Amino acid sequence: MATDRKAEVTWHSDLMSGSGRIDSVTSGAFGGLDVSWAARSEEPNGLTSPEELIAAAHASCFSMALSGGLAKEGHAPEELKTSATVTFQPGEGITKIALEVAGRVPGMDEAAFKQAAEQAKENCPVSKALAGVPEISVASRLQG
Amino acid sequence: MPRVQREAQVTWEGNVARGSGSISGATGAFTNLPYSLATRIEKPDGKTSPEELLAAAHAACYAMSLAGELAAKGSAPDHVDVRAVVTLDQVEDGSHRIVASELLARARVTGIDQAALQEVAEIASNGCTLSKLIEASAKVTVNAQLEGGS
Repeated sequence: MATDRKAEVTWHSDLMSGSGRIDSVTSGAFGGLDVSWAARSEEPNGLTSPEELIAAAHASCFSMALSGGLAKEGHAPEELKTSATVTFQPGEGITKIALEVAGRVPGMDEAAFKQAAEQAKENCPVSKALAGVPEISVASRLQG
Repeated sequence: MPRVQREAQVTWEGNVARGSGSISGATGAFTNLPYSLATRIEKPDGKTSPEELLAAAHAACYAMSLAGELAAKGSAPDHVDVRAVVTLDQVEDGSHRIVASELLARARVTGIDQAALQEVAEIASNGCTLSKLIEASAKVTVNAQLEGGS
């Protein structure tokens, strides 16, 4: 079954001096988020950007895929804490995404956790959609 | 130009089917957005998902690119409204894939006709980093309409 998710954005004026807003999304979970080129390419000053939203999309997708992979091996996680850092080079595009995950996973060793993290990085739908990013890395560690 | 980094954090608890997570952006523009498998692939029930965040990223990226391209043609827009719809589908092997991102832009802009707008809209997609990335594995479509009289 296909699932659609929609987002609506309004932009005023030109790129350099104008500004935009992410008005609404299908779920209603967020809206009214301002964006601008200055905030995207320099200091964010509290404003989100396409790259921060990609970081959020990738970290959330990866976490769900890792949870699924671990459960398949009989080690459903108690908790996964993931961050994604997206590197954007204006004029070039997104050049790197670095995922980091710390997991509380009963009965699992570091090597197996690392392997599961690598698999989740390869297989989650957002990773596949962004496979053209030159470098996608994942660092994993277990916590007690 | 210097490199720019943007970060987001996610906490996930439990297995996929019954677990749930929470999503925050480092800028603080959005914090603790809950999500789950059920709300990702069925009714959203007020909860966001990776695909919805991707749609928001793509719409925002594309809106900037289109504003830039129109301005470069000497027709900076009064405004552009961009809608992105991202489709997640189950493929033959049973896994889920992002198969499409559909962009619809409505522009209030003077000095440009519908045909020229559509042409600029396609150039703008080629200039949007996310369109280029998504196109490698999914279908990106772009449609543009002039809004109001011009």
